Amino acid sequence: MADEITPRRDPIKSSVGNVAAQRRRQHAITVAKERREAVVRTKRLCRVGVGGGGDDQLTYDDDGDGGDMMIDAEQSILEAQTCSAVQDLKLAMLFQGKGAMQKRVAALREVRRLLSRSEFPPIEAAIKAGAIPLLVQCLSFGSPEEQLLEAAWCMTNIAAGKPEETKELLPALPLLIAHLGEKSSLPVAEQCSWAVGNVAGEGEELRNILLSQGALPSLARMMLRNKGSTVRTAAWALSNLIKGPDPKAATELIRVDGVLEAILQHLKKADEELATEVAWVVVYLSALSHVATSMLVKSDLLQILVERLGMSNSLQLLIPVLRSIGNLVAGDAHVASTVLVIGQSITDSILPALIKCLESEHRVLKKEAAWVLSNIAAGSVEHKKLVYASEAVPLLLRLLVTAPFDIRKEVAYVIGNLCVAPSEGSGRPKLIADHLVFLVSKGCLPGFIDLVRSADVEAAKLGLQFIELVLRGMPSGSGPKLVEKADGIDAMERFQFHENEELRCMATKLVDKYFGVDYGVDDE
Amino acid sequence: MATEVEVSREDQLKFPYWSPIRRRFDPESSFFAAGNVERELLAKQVALDLTEEEKLQFRNMEDEESSKLYCPLVGCGAHLRSLDEFEDHYTSRHSAACSVCSRVYPTSRLLSIHVSEVHDSFFQAKVARGFAMYECLVEGCGLKLKSYKGRQQHLVDKHKFPTSFEFFKKAHPSKKQRKKDQHKQAFGTKEAASRAMQMEEDTMDNLVSAVSKLSTSDSPSSISFGRRHNRGLTFVPRAVRQAKEPESSARRS
Repeated sequence: MADEITPRRDPIKSSVGNVAAQRRRQHAITVAKERREAVVRTKRLCRVGVGGGGDDQLTYDDDGDGGDMMIDAEQSILEAQTCSAVQDLKLAMLFQGKGAMQKRVAALREVRRLLSRSEFPPIEAAIKAGAIPLLVQCLSFGSPEEQLLEAAWCMTNIAAGKPEETKELLPALPLLIAHLGEKSSLPVAEQCSWAVGNVAGEGEELRNILLSQGALPSLARMMLRNKGSTVRTAAWALSNLIKGPDPKAATELIRVDGVLEAILQHLKKADEELATEVAWVVVYLSALSHVATSMLVKSDLLQILVERLGMSNSLQLLIPVLRSIGNLVAGDAHVASTVLVIGQSITDSILPALIKCLESEHRVLKKEAAWVLSNIAAGSVEHKKLVYASEAVPLLLRLLVTAPFDIRKEVAYVIGNLCVAPSEGSGRPKLIADHLVFLVSKGCLPGFIDLVRSADVEAAKLGLQFIELVLRGMPSGSGPKLVEKADGIDAMERFQFHENEELRCMATKLVDKYFGVDYGVDDE
Repeated sequence: MATEVEVSREDQLKFPYWSPIRRRFDPESSFFAAGNVERELLAKQVALDLTEEEKLQFRNMEDEESSKLYCPLVGCGAHLRSLDEFEDHYTSRHSAACSVCSRVYPTSRLLSIHVSEVHDSFFQAKVARGFAMYECLVEGCGLKLKSYKGRQQHLVDKHKFPTSFEFFKKAHPSKKQRKKDQHKQAFGTKEAASRAMQMEEDTMDNLVSAVSKLSTSDSPSSISFGRRHNRGLTFVPRAVRQAKEPESSARRS
């Protein structure tokens, strides 16, 4: 009997504790996922009223819990409160007597507060409680301004959530668009444009519906104003509306009377916040619509963008400005020859501005600046000489060795493009020998061989192509030795068992041609 | 974008030389993803109360998410979380080195095939007897061929290997090693005997033809090396050994 050990029963407390801990962990994962969604989607939660409106100073931590993530209990309290607030609204809508409007606005305000209090508004609870039809009613024409404002604010935040939630707002769209009109008060128009922007940010399907309901001309008109948060919100909403992938919205936008001038004006004169949103509009215009690109190229736009790029230090602004420049240079064959003419001031100022981006600590700026440079270096021999002679080269050589992979790949494109003349017809493009010799002498070869070793097919191909240039183009047949010294043969022999046939063939050809049986036989 | 055009086999075989072209990307291309994430992070850091740590997490997550990377070596397919991981993965999984001749192979299977084919006399014995010993290099194929060249042809025909592919390549020794080998060849050291173990294909052919010359007209037409108990070619007749000096199959540097 002494051997028998009766199993100890765990105290009940700890098992409950385990379950709770597990639930918390699960919740944490869900919250993390939702948080990620909230960041990545191109929607914006409205937590402070537009134009400084809204009656209270919003504190993000008004329940004093230190802003910790909400646990189950708090979330369900919020949901319960939302449910009852919607009920109150329903009652207020039915009420016909004295003070009806105040009651309605007060009820709306309560729903709005609950929908803007936390980073995770109780959207689903609000919808389930029947908020949307009530809100649509509140948007009817002739309603008092405060009512319109609160209702639109609620819808803005409902639209900032999940796809199925946003789709519930379909019946509200025509009204929201209508209130964008020039007769609406500015705060109302702005709040409605915010809601429309969130809906547009949901996806192509909703974008198309908004476009078919005439959202674009109204938003465009709002962007023509001079200043104020209205212009900014409208620009942001437009960037969501035209982002395609169908280019027709972008083309429609650039054709609206006054839009091009407004864009130029804002990019030239406006504060950085507004310029940022307008620059994003230009990003989508230049990436999607050929009509827009050619109109933009014919204007002063590139000059203005280059100036901003050189002068600003705001990462938020630099990203879309740089990308717009990149899109224009990449998309239009004539930019190089008509705008970036050698000798023009714009051409002189674009390189320092790009170099500033290369020197920045921000990965995005470095990568996209290198991309722009690679496209400039893909132009005429004069353009190559311009880049080659600039301060960019020592920077690029350094980045080729030290930067993260995606930047190194772009830098590789620049360097390689500098060494090869524009192709004429179908023959093999000619080398620019002195560029190649110089760059190799500065030690760029190991960087390319490193790319050969990577698992990325595009990078490996680039590396092999550059090795070919070295093997072919270095004077006095010095190429093969250089490649061998940099462990190039070793890197290429990896491809024997590589699954990509093209790369296998490329590597084999190089090894066979330049490192065949006779290699090294005539050594001293 | 270039249009798809009928490419002749010759064109396909041409090396795709570096040609500078402008590169354009769609707005939703993964090329722009990092910048798009940055835009959202900066715009929402207040509204969503993001900490610096969180922002860093989001930026890095973007990198890993967009990495649909798999190891590109035939038959591996290991998922790589990032490009930096590839190098480590390669050195730990794909550097099977032969202890005899230091050649490196990307899988232990290929290494063992190499060892059998090149350093195992028993293997050569079976080949000479007409057994199909040369395995197809593609895992899962299972086919065995009777000769190195036959296997080669199979790889090209069936598995689209390049015609210039050589499983057993002449190594590319360093200059120092090449000098050493040139000396060795000149003075013919004792190592030549052990080198006989490193059979090269042509040595093999010579061996077979040399031995066949030794046989009399009465002996069976098919050559059989050794008997059941022997391991086969352990003792190579001197006449055959001196028929052809093995080429400098030196170590890889």
